[in-house]
Amino acid sequence: MINSADRYFIERKYHDPEKEFDAFSRMAYHGTGYIKESGLCDKELLKGLEQLSRENEGLPHPIARAKAIKYVLENQRLYINEHDYFVGLYSLNRLANESTFKKWEKESHTLRNPETMECSNDFNNSGAVTIRTDYDHVVPDWKSLMELGFVGIRERAREYRKMHSENKTMTKETEAFFDGIEIQYTAIIDLIDRMYRTACELTFEKAPQIAECLKNLRDGHPTCFYEALQFIYIFFIISESIDSYQVRSLGNGLDNTLYGFYKNDLESGKCTKEDIRNYLSYFFMQWSAIGNYWGQPFYMGGTDLNSNTKYNELSYEILDVYDELEIYNPKIQLKINKNTPDKILNKAFDMVRRKNASIVFCCEPAMIKAIMGYGATYEEAINYDIRGCYETGVRANEVCSSSGYVNVAKAVEFVFTNGYDYGIKKQVGVKTGEILEIKTFEDFYFAFLKQWEYLIEQSMKITNDAERFLAFVNPSSMYSATIETSLKNGKDGYAGGVKFNNNAMLNCGFASAVDSLMAVKEFVFDKKEITLSELAKVLEVNWKGYEKLQIKIKKSPLKYGNNDAVADTYASAMSSYFANKVNNVPNGRGGVYKAIFHSARAFINQGEKTGALPDGRLKGEELSKNASPVVSMDKKGVTALVESATKLIPSDYHESFCVDVMLHPSAVEGEDGLNVLKGVLMTYLNKGGQSIQFNIFNTDTLRDAQKNPEKYQNLQVRVCGWNTLWNNMSKKEQDAYILRAENVE
Amino acid sequence: MKALISDIKRFAVHDGDGIRTTVFFKGCPLKCVWCHNPESIDFKPQVAYYENKCIDCGECVSVCPSGAHKFTQEGHIFERDLCVACGKCEKACLGEALKFYGKEMTVDELLPLLLEDKDFYKTSGGGVTLSGGECLMQADFCAELLQMLKKEGINTAVDTCGYVPKESIDKVLPYTDTFLYDIKAIDENVHIKCTGKSNRLILENIKYIDSLDKSIEVRIPYVPNYNDNQIKQIADFLKGLKNSIKVRVLPYHNYAGSKYEALDMENSLPVRLPDGEEIKNAEKLFTLI
Repeated sequence: MINSADRYFIERKYHDPEKEFDAFSRMAYHGTGYIKESGLCDKELLKGLEQLSRENEGLPHPIARAKAIKYVLENQRLYINEHDYFVGLYSLNRLANESTFKKWEKESHTLRNPETMECSNDFNNSGAVTIRTDYDHVVPDWKSLMELGFVGIRERAREYRKMHSENKTMTKETEAFFDGIEIQYTAIIDLIDRMYRTACELTFEKAPQIAECLKNLRDGHPTCFYEALQFIYIFFIISESIDSYQVRSLGNGLDNTLYGFYKNDLESGKCTKEDIRNYLSYFFMQWSAIGNYWGQPFYMGGTDLNSNTKYNELSYEILDVYDELEIYNPKIQLKINKNTPDKILNKAFDMVRRKNASIVFCCEPAMIKAIMGYGATYEEAINYDIRGCYETGVRANEVCSSSGYVNVAKAVEFVFTNGYDYGIKKQVGVKTGEILEIKTFEDFYFAFLKQWEYLIEQSMKITNDAERFLAFVNPSSMYSATIETSLKNGKDGYAGGVKFNNNAMLNCGFASAVDSLMAVKEFVFDKKEITLSELAKVLEVNWKGYEKLQIKIKKSPLKYGNNDAVADTYASAMSSYFANKVNNVPNGRGGVYKAIFHSARAFINQGEKTGALPDGRLKGEELSKNASPVVSMDKKGVTALVESATKLIPSDYHESFCVDVMLHPSAVEGEDGLNVLKGVLMTYLNKGGQSIQFNIFNTDTLRDAQKNPEKYQNLQVRVCGWNTLWNNMSKKEQDAYILRAENVE
Repeated sequence: MKALISDIKRFAVHDGDGIRTTVFFKGCPLKCVWCHNPESIDFKPQVAYYENKCIDCGECVSVCPSGAHKFTQEGHIFERDLCVACGKCEKACLGEALKFYGKEMTVDELLPLLLEDKDFYKTSGGGVTLSGGECLMQADFCAELLQMLKKEGINTAVDTCGYVPKESIDKVLPYTDTFLYDIKAIDENVHIKCTGKSNRLILENIKYIDSLDKSIEVRIPYVPNYNDNQIKQIADFLKGLKNSIKVRVLPYHNYAGSKYEALDMENSLPVRLPDGEEIKNAEKLFTLI
């Protein structure tokens, strides 16, 4: 395992943890310990890029882009350090974007439909839909990469180029596509050569090993475990930080991508198990040190075509090393099925209950069904990738971009305001009539559906318009070269080159909307305790003076998440409504839309822009997240929550579906506690759930942590597909966790 | 047939194996000084008033048929003597300050509630536990309920203090998978001091259940200054039984303090809590049984 001096160095490799650091910013990273003479500083690089951009004016974008990347790689300052097995670069801030991506994005704005652009701004500003063009959210084909190396990937592209020439399928675009790959991969290979030559001159202990590794990666594919890790790291850092393509998984199942190397090294005696653990510890520390807000994902396990588990010895070692490092980034997704070994489940659950480790449990059966829902074959579906938080996709053949976080709670708000947004003082929703005109719950419900439908359909228009320019703005030579379908088609993965060119539309604030509709049904129409127009006024004054009614409404059992027949019937109907509106609707890139039950940070950001709601929620408070209930409204506990959530038919959400569970530590102690956790997981799986994630806390700990942050430097919580440190959250966010914990005391 | 139920707890994970639903029957023949379910001692329904949760909403006043709830200058006053234990105020209370213990329920009413988490029982090796109070004080009802549960293929456990006629045990025997059996002391005088009753019947009954090779998990509350000197004797006693028996030592805790107050019951809870070392030592005595 990594020693403390080396760990100290790597923790400062990308930014200084003692200094203020914006984890959301991609412009916050710099390597340290670099060799100054080996390249240029940022300012000089930007100047050179500007010059280059003038020279490249008029070139096809893939070529201009690859040349910009090549320039940065050629002039990049390098480091190879005695404290690290992994190489280093100095300028990690996507500098090439300044003279390419950003310029072209502006250009695309002048070409876009001004009406949908305005609608997009209104949606974002009002919090009705968070929508921006998603240029990079993919997983490369690690299998090709591992088999071919950078050289082999370039060679394969050359062969396909030849094929297109011979078949007379070579268009100008195809030519530019292959040129882009040629330039960029050659630049990468040259960079590795430069690193190799640097390493040869160094005299510290790790230097010869690093040099040999670089030589092999320059000339071919990785040949051992350490080289495979270095290779993944180099691909990642160039793709994410020099180019601008997020790598949304390390490995097509990190354990499976690495297993062959692991076995060979152990059998040949090249490595001991301790060596393997040592390399893994340095490897994981890179992402812990990068420390970006959303975390770096990798997944493990799965099932093969013969129904055997794909977990192996290395899967367990990976969990164990991760555990020992006490880190929360990278983050781990575990594919779960009935064949998942107990050893893996026990280890993972023990990590979750002991320290809330950053692990999400992803149930294969429902995920496979979801993927087949948009036309994938069983063979394609079973080998699926998990990307980002817990999104799924067909391995090496799908580009799915996020295209709108639709805030369904806002649709409820708009029924009261006839589509007018008081926050930005503008008509944002559709006109469904004055609230005074609504006489029955059915009328209210249909007005709500109209508002929701409008947000969904407009979001699609916005997305389809914007995505005409995906590859124009951000051509993906580095990614597309790994995807064989893309080469066969001679097209960039973001220009329709892959088999599945999809979009995901996110269902946000769901339980807040369900509970609000139920409150209108119960208190306005069934019990007639208040009229609809009175309720509209109550919401306008943010419940001030109506606290008693607010408590009464909150206390009502008619809430999503409690296995309540009435509330769940509406919840199911609403969930299906969204899925049906979204799933398999053709998009602008020759693919389809996919529904996704995921909120990312929208439950906070959109919450801030959403007014008071009929369920008793105050203006600005968090909305519900994922397919989870409103905070502390799941009064009947985890079993009822699982029942309610799985009634929504999770596999209807073709991209992902996740539920959050809060448990008290006393419920999960000892061996019995592991059985309890496994029981919850397996029941969720049996009932068709997709992903499930846990927070295990008592209020005493959280209250104490709020008072004495210095005592809880390492306390982490699960947010929404990633973990964060307790101390990095705002008081408001912390309070919401304390409420959740109170609910399970 | 109806039973008096004080509470139903879903996702109960300390009342037998796996994820369970526990039914707490109301009424108990013993009165243990450390009782952590004082709401289950009395055989009659009771209202508990948790004063610190009251938000002065006044809803209870308007629904109470007997004028037991009042608002004066001192705030909310609950006059227990006037209370007819109808349970209406619990439903109305906005602050969840009023709890009603002692709902009358039939098997038909209970059964669907207990089956709600059926799928979780299967995956976790759990089931349904009848507890209390002393559930076997309503043995006919228990037998009927357990029989229905077994028909549904549910694992059943009966959590008993053992201070019941042998016939009561006979009634539930055929439908009970496991007995969770409390043993508090071997010395009769200690037992009387701790619980108000002799333990002879209790020790006879466990021998009887054991003789029939029924699965038993013995549960021993560890209460310093009360029964901590009994642990060795309990271990010896259990060694004399026919079957080897799973034992769980339950460290005494005083969380129930607020319940005594809310029920206007005299708080008999011991002051000293056991430390981890004491519990470990006690557990050691049972490793070989």
